[in-house]
Amino acid sequence: MRILLLEDDPSAADYVARGLTESGHVCDVLSEGTDALFQASRETYDVLVVDRMVPGLDGLSVVRALRAAGRRTPVLFLTALGGIDDRVEGLEAGGDDYLTKPFAFAELLARVNALARRPPVQEVKTTLRVADLELDLLARRARRGGQPIDLLPKEFTLLEVLMRNEGRVVTRTMLLERVWDFHFDPKTSVVETHISRLRAKIDRPFDLALLHTVKSAGYSLYAPR
Amino acid sequence: MRPGDLWQHSSFRLALGVTLFILTVLTFAGSIGYGLMRGQLVERQDARITEIVGAIQQTSLQGDQTDLIEAISARISASDEGSTLYLLKDPGGRILAGNMAGRGVADGWSTLPASALGVTAEAPYRVFSGKAGVYGLIVALSNSDLDDLQEIVLGAVGWAALFALVSTALLGAVLAMRVQRRMALAETAVARLAQGDLTARLPVSPRGDDVDRMSRAINASLARLAALVEAMRQVSTDIAHDLRTPLQRLRIHIESAAQGASDDRVATHLSAAIAQSEAIDQTFAALLRIAQIEAGARREKFAPVDLSALMGNVADVYSDVAEDAGQTLGFAQGAPAWVFGDSELLTQLFANLIENAIRHCPPGTAIACTVQLSGDRVTAMITDNGPGIPADERDKVLRRFHRLEKSRTKDGSGLGLALVKAVADLHGAKLTLQDAAPGLGVELSFARIADRP
Repeated sequence: MRILLLEDDPSAADYVARGLTESGHVCDVLSEGTDALFQASRETYDVLVVDRMVPGLDGLSVVRALRAAGRRTPVLFLTALGGIDDRVEGLEAGGDDYLTKPFAFAELLARVNALARRPPVQEVKTTLRVADLELDLLARRARRGGQPIDLLPKEFTLLEVLMRNEGRVVTRTMLLERVWDFHFDPKTSVVETHISRLRAKIDRPFDLALLHTVKSAGYSLYAPR
Repeated sequence: MRPGDLWQHSSFRLALGVTLFILTVLTFAGSIGYGLMRGQLVERQDARITEIVGAIQQTSLQGDQTDLIEAISARISASDEGSTLYLLKDPGGRILAGNMAGRGVADGWSTLPASALGVTAEAPYRVFSGKAGVYGLIVALSNSDLDDLQEIVLGAVGWAALFALVSTALLGAVLAMRVQRRMALAETAVARLAQGDLTARLPVSPRGDDVDRMSRAINASLARLAALVEAMRQVSTDIAHDLRTPLQRLRIHIESAAQGASDDRVATHLSAAIAQSEAIDQTFAALLRIAQIEAGARREKFAPVDLSALMGNVADVYSDVAEDAGQTLGFAQGAPAWVFGDSELLTQLFANLIENAIRHCPPGTAIACTVQLSGDRVTAMITDNGPGIPADERDKVLRRFHRLEKSRTKDGSGLGLALVKAVADLHGAKLTLQDAAPGLGVELSFARIADRP
């Protein structure tokens, strides 16, 4: 994937770029807002990673300008403001996701991956499938190997998020945001508890485990080869 | 202002006090004046009697009995009816002339009721009984003038007292109302201050009187206090901001080192270092969040929120977590309870409270969440039957970084309840920590808004 990184702190930019390259992506780094706007308009990228506070044109304005020009490239905002309104502001400006500094690289990578392979809006799937696990989004029913699985509403949403990101890491924070709409760090093992309940329903009665824990990163749903 | 409230006003009470003082002085002065005048009148009356008696004695020396009887009859017919009484007796005690009975009147000066003199009158008489030559002579003057005087003086004092009472009561009420208006403004300002709004100031009138001088002095202190608080808030925000970049770099370096670590021991230490750096990040994030909530800008994004549904969601998320901790978390979904607020912050508020209960209570604890409607209030309660919080600690735990001694060994930033307080304050909700006997009850009382369709 081709990623544009707008970040003015050299050590952070270097680290993120190196990490993305090691993960098999191509990464262009810019430290100034106006440059990034020209570059993103000229070239085609899969994802833009944009720090909000950079010299010249700020990150928010860069994304606004791109959106106004009709560019739909997914944007991940990096914000050091740590504010409660930053997320809303970023989303309103046309951002697709946000990440608060300081962040772990694994978190950034997971979010970039999730953004990049988002299916186009037109392509609406009504059934998700991973191996023999089936999720009917219209009837809100889950089956594995033809056997119905009884899920609570939040368990259904949790499984849906994991299945939509098949084979990719979904971090704890991403799950908190997407499943429970929690935009803060809980002090108890909310995610672990619900993952373990879900696992008991979709994996334990079957031979093949589909829901995997990725150490110090998050969770991933896939059929191992 | 209700009439009963007047008694609560110092200026009205002062006015009444002054009235009572004036009344006392009036009574005192009136009684002295009355005494003096009465003494004067009595003296004059006695002098008049002496004069009459002298004139009659003169007649008795110059003329005979007939002249004396005539002189007395002339005096009787000349005087007003009943105002002056005369009695002339011969040496044998037979009545020769007069307009009274006058039996058994002692010699010399006396004051007697009209009945003792055989006449009908309200006022008593001043009586002199003596001799005119060989004749017995009694002259009595009515005291009705004295009674009139008493009436006039008492009336004057009474009217003056009534006037004083009414006018000072009116003055007191007017003063009380004027003071009340000023005090009401001051009370509003103080109430805002008590709620943490440091921009509130006491009213200062253009008169520049003593109250204004005091208000100005208090306002100056408040301005200084507000500046200090703002500076402190700004410092904590600045620190948190400025530490973000070095913290990000620290994290990058530890992560890079961890990736290249071949030694298990080093890798263990590095992942412990990452965990600690995460803990620092979280504390800073929480501090910033509290500061931003306290700044109040979030209020602009308020929208109607069904607190009952919101609490139901949070309880739903945590019921399994509580179960895994060997506890129970109960929530009975009731009627919709609409309040005006920020659903994201309210979610965090309830999550923090429930997490506190889960983390600080032993297995076997029952945690109960309720949302109730009562009149124009919506009351949310989170109650546990765990160890609770001692009464003298309940206010302190709402402060930043304050932690109960016994929980200090546990993880946690000590900011959870401070955030709860900040969110409650932002929503104008009343937060109370109660003894649930046993355990802790956290009550949040919100203003209710009209139900949404």
